[in-house]
Amino acid sequence: MTDMMRLPEAAARRPAGLVAGGAQALMRLTDPPMRALQRLIGAARMPYVFLLPNLVFFGLFVFLPIAINIVFSMTGGTALYPAERPYVGAEQYARLLDCGSYLDPGSCQEDLFWRGVGNTLTFTVFQMVAMVLFSLGTALVLNRPIRARGFFRAVYFFPVLLSPVVVALIWKWILQRDGLLNAALTMAGGQKILFFVDPGWAMFWSVFVSVWAHMGFYTLILLAGLQAIPRDVYEAAEMDGTRPWRVFHRITLPLLWPNLLVVLVLVLIRSVQVFDEVFVLTGGGPGTATVMIVQYIYTTAFANQVQNFGLAGAASVLLGAVLFVLTMVQLFLTRRRSS
Amino acid sequence: MAGLELRGVRKDFGSVAVLKGIDLSIADGEFIVFVGPSGCGKSTLLRVIAGLETATAGDIHIDGAEVTRTAASDRGLAMVFQSYALYPHMSVHQNMSFALENMGVPKAEIARRVERAARMLRLTDYLHRKPGALSGGQRQRVAIGRAIVRDPKIFLFDEPLSNLDAELRVATRKELAALHAEIGGTMIYVTHDQVEAMTLADRIVVLNAGRIEQIGTPLDLYNRPANLFVAGFIGSPRMNLLPADAARMPRDNFLGDAVTVGIRPEHVQPCAEADADLTVQVDLVEQLGGETFLYTTALGCPGDLKVTIRIDGQSALARGDRLPVRLRREHLHLFDSAGLACRPDPIPARSHA
Repeated sequence: MTDMMRLPEAAARRPAGLVAGGAQALMRLTDPPMRALQRLIGAARMPYVFLLPNLVFFGLFVFLPIAINIVFSMTGGTALYPAERPYVGAEQYARLLDCGSYLDPGSCQEDLFWRGVGNTLTFTVFQMVAMVLFSLGTALVLNRPIRARGFFRAVYFFPVLLSPVVVALIWKWILQRDGLLNAALTMAGGQKILFFVDPGWAMFWSVFVSVWAHMGFYTLILLAGLQAIPRDVYEAAEMDGTRPWRVFHRITLPLLWPNLLVVLVLVLIRSVQVFDEVFVLTGGGPGTATVMIVQYIYTTAFANQVQNFGLAGAASVLLGAVLFVLTMVQLFLTRRRSS
Repeated sequence: MAGLELRGVRKDFGSVAVLKGIDLSIADGEFIVFVGPSGCGKSTLLRVIAGLETATAGDIHIDGAEVTRTAASDRGLAMVFQSYALYPHMSVHQNMSFALENMGVPKAEIARRVERAARMLRLTDYLHRKPGALSGGQRQRVAIGRAIVRDPKIFLFDEPLSNLDAELRVATRKELAALHAEIGGTMIYVTHDQVEAMTLADRIVVLNAGRIEQIGTPLDLYNRPANLFVAGFIGSPRMNLLPADAARMPRDNFLGDAVTVGIRPEHVQPCAEADADLTVQVDLVEQLGGETFLYTTALGCPGDLKVTIRIDGQSALARGDRLPVRLRREHLHLFDSAGLACRPDPIPARSHA
């Protein structure tokens, strides 16, 4: 009786021990079947047994959809079931790439695709510049011994935790015709600005909202890079009589460059993939001013009256190829850095 | 080159006082070593002199000019850091020339100074390499070279040898001594290694808990420690500190008011039983070839009284052996109840001869 009463008390005192004990019990339970399996297939094949659950998961939810997408891109018609779709070869790709001039989307058979490419490029360039400048600036400030540094670090990171759709809805509420910003402008004696009617403003706010939402993540990467620079290197620079701008230019920037490079490539990859924030914020408008490639793929496959899965699939494959190259670049840079 | 004067320098970090009023004069061309246990404030004192920390109170004068609030870059000092603090993305040449570029020194002059320093430090073949491709000793020399090219008023060294292995440390120590002899600059050197302090310094400043315990030449500190702290800190193995009544010595004619008796291991001598001040039992024998250290416990004394003995040459003694020993009177250090050395000093003027 006494022992029984002691047992829960001891367990409460040693929760970690209890977990470890449970894990050991589980290991003991799985030991006989695993030993039997190893005798059957040999030790050399056992790693594949452990990889199998992940492989099945990835196969079902990543590799199979990619394969189906490639099949869709080479077939035509409106049927959803691949076996019912007629094979058309590279016809969908030819249609996407059929352009009088690639600089003039109007001359292309799929002009909306090329407008999407142009818009995505514009978005990407502005996004990269703004993201790097703002996240670098913020990281530099947050790396200094300012008051309430922990609070500000959290504040800048919070938007990253929000869903992109929520972010877009918040800013839509601020920016719409009778939104918060226009109310403030009117109160200050100014005129209302129809942000989502002017193509320039629509692109500006698309970039701004995206930077606002994701800046915290890149700030964190750069902050980690800044904190990895030894303090005594800065002290040596101080002893060497280095002026602040020269410290930034000759010490901070070169030592932060590996982190900056990773940030640049990550921003590039995510910019090319942009969809949800811009789609919820502007709907691609005004007109086609903020239609991005992914929005083109989405509308072509699901939102148009005629659902053209084949064309959307071909556009996805092209986008996937671009992202694959960019990801390889990122992996190369990351590995070079860690080596 | 320049002299340095500190007057009542204090440094507080929040409510923690790290330096509690430092007064110190360093002459032009002197090699001064700050030594003390971890946390005694020696590195903080060096950083306050460098201008990397601002003194909470007191004045700092370099060559007669007050620099207490002057920025580190404007004090004209050069510092060699414990970690070397080389710019990892710059070559050896760029590391050495960076400060000169900041000062706007003409390119030809920069090249001349860098080449001269590289030759002096045997770095000529490595000028194009980055610090990552150098050994610890080479990095150390680059850090020194970076200081030399600036021709600073004072060189500051913050435990520069602590990251080197034992052999390289000895070699670099000799190089530093040679360097001081060659360029003759004022050098302030921080270390917790008393061998470095004893071998390099013109004068040693012993720090403890933010205060200066004693300033003097290495042999001054060894032969005439001002208090129990310095007596115990300087010397390896450390001085034996025994209660004055532990030894069989007549109190009236020698010990006076002394409460503690100090004696260096080399001044405790095995002797005949009749002449012995103490009888000790050997706990451990360390044979170093040229000398032997005996770690012993005094018998017949209250408490567990440990006595270290140094014997020239080799010894046949073993653990458990009993040994009568004599404490050489002329080398006894006497300390009063406050831990201060009793005067007149037991060491005759011979120590300065």
